[in-house]
Amino acid sequence: MSYNWHLYIIWDYRWVFVRGAMFTFELTLLSLAVGVIVGLPLGMARGAQHRLPRAIAMPIIEFFRSTPSLVQLFWIYYALPILIGVRLEAMVACTLGLGLHSAAYIAEIFRAGIASIDKGQSLAAKSIGMSYLTSMRRIILPQAVRRMIPPFINELANLIKLTTLASVLAVYELLHEANDLIAQTFRPFEIYTALAIAFLVIIFPLIYLSRKLELYWAKRS
Amino acid sequence: MSAPMISVRNLAKRFGDNQVLRGIDLDVQKGEIVGIIGPSGSGKSTMLRCLNFLEQYEGGEIQFDGATVGYRDGPNGKRIGDSEAKLRMLRAQIGMVFQNFNLFPHMTVLGNVIEGPVVVKGQPKAQATTEALALLERVGLADKANAYPSTLSGGQQQRVGIARSLAMKPKAMLFDEPTSSLDPELVGEVLDVMQSLAEAGMTMLIATHEMAFIQEIAHRVVFIDGGKVVEQGPPAQIFAQPTHPRTIDFLKRVRVYKA
Repeated sequence: MSYNWHLYIIWDYRWVFVRGAMFTFELTLLSLAVGVIVGLPLGMARGAQHRLPRAIAMPIIEFFRSTPSLVQLFWIYYALPILIGVRLEAMVACTLGLGLHSAAYIAEIFRAGIASIDKGQSLAAKSIGMSYLTSMRRIILPQAVRRMIPPFINELANLIKLTTLASVLAVYELLHEANDLIAQTFRPFEIYTALAIAFLVIIFPLIYLSRKLELYWAKRS
Repeated sequence: MSAPMISVRNLAKRFGDNQVLRGIDLDVQKGEIVGIIGPSGSGKSTMLRCLNFLEQYEGGEIQFDGATVGYRDGPNGKRIGDSEAKLRMLRAQIGMVFQNFNLFPHMTVLGNVIEGPVVVKGQPKAQATTEALALLERVGLADKANAYPSTLSGGQQQRVGIARSLAMKPKAMLFDEPTSSLDPELVGEVLDVMQSLAEAGMTMLIATHEMAFIQEIAHRVVFIDGGKVVEQGPPAQIFAQPTHPRTIDFLKRVRVYKA
């Protein structure tokens, strides 16, 4: 077994990786924005007292959680034009698809965080005359956010990895750039290795931060 | 006698199949201190929570200071639920002290006390702070204003809980077993604060197992069992000459347990 590694290739094409990483970054942030904006109300509805919002939120969340993200992307990109005549650009379709997928998980994180706060807290808030929204803002969320952050970072790490799926819709994120590069250089070993390391470099600090935060809060409470 | 501050008529409440309250009647005058006693699960806490509508109820009527609580009569005999805004106004006028304190752990003691006046009533922070410090002085915790609840003993936390309720300048105070989760040596400091409130003329409803305290402080004792008022009267009468067999039985068990 002697494979002749040509690692200099990575250095020669470093800007391709940087460009791909920037795009991965952009796609992650946009999808995350969709995920948070859709996920928060979805999570609140999922944990609501009334039956109606729960009945609306639950199938949406479970649909996006129990079908593959890749299939969701294909579906949004290829089925929407046929069904309702809306043709989305690849980047928009990816943002929407990944965003909605993560929204389902963010909704669950949000719901679980709120549910983890002792019921006495909202009773006490109510008893001094607070409205539901005020008690959320002043009493429940400030306590719940702490418990949400570690799973939220975990979800962010997942989302970053999921952005590689966008390569199938010809969006120039890291994996797509890498595949193009392989087609040019015929050096898949080096390039996929570099790709894996690139993701490691992006994601490991996040996981590390999440663990540190968890320990820090565990010590303080 | 003037109109009662709190008036409960035929109050009924159930949780699923469990009928917790089966027609409670109760009047509380302004400045009166009423002790609510009864076995665990008899409906004491649930009744208190209906009074400020932390719990909805299915039957009967509650009036607080001349206004109905939670519902009003609509056409053809249907009840119409009160608006959220009206309920908030009501709750702001009734203080509630919980068995488990329920202080806000992410706020300091002072933060807990000024939260209601500032956020709910819109009082200026400086004024609310001055008043809150005076209240903390009154419950003996002026030096703990900047401490977080988790650093306080149970007795201290409950005194903060009382100060937090008083900060809203309530017309009446509901105490839901305020000393039941305290270590025995911490009960006294909370009862002392309640005693001083009583002396200041506060209208108080106290659900408790502290029989000696309630005998001393209450104008009237109400014994609740099976979701109904079984017997009520001045403490001297209830504790010395109870007439209903269930009251006699309950007091006997409490005394045996105490001895």
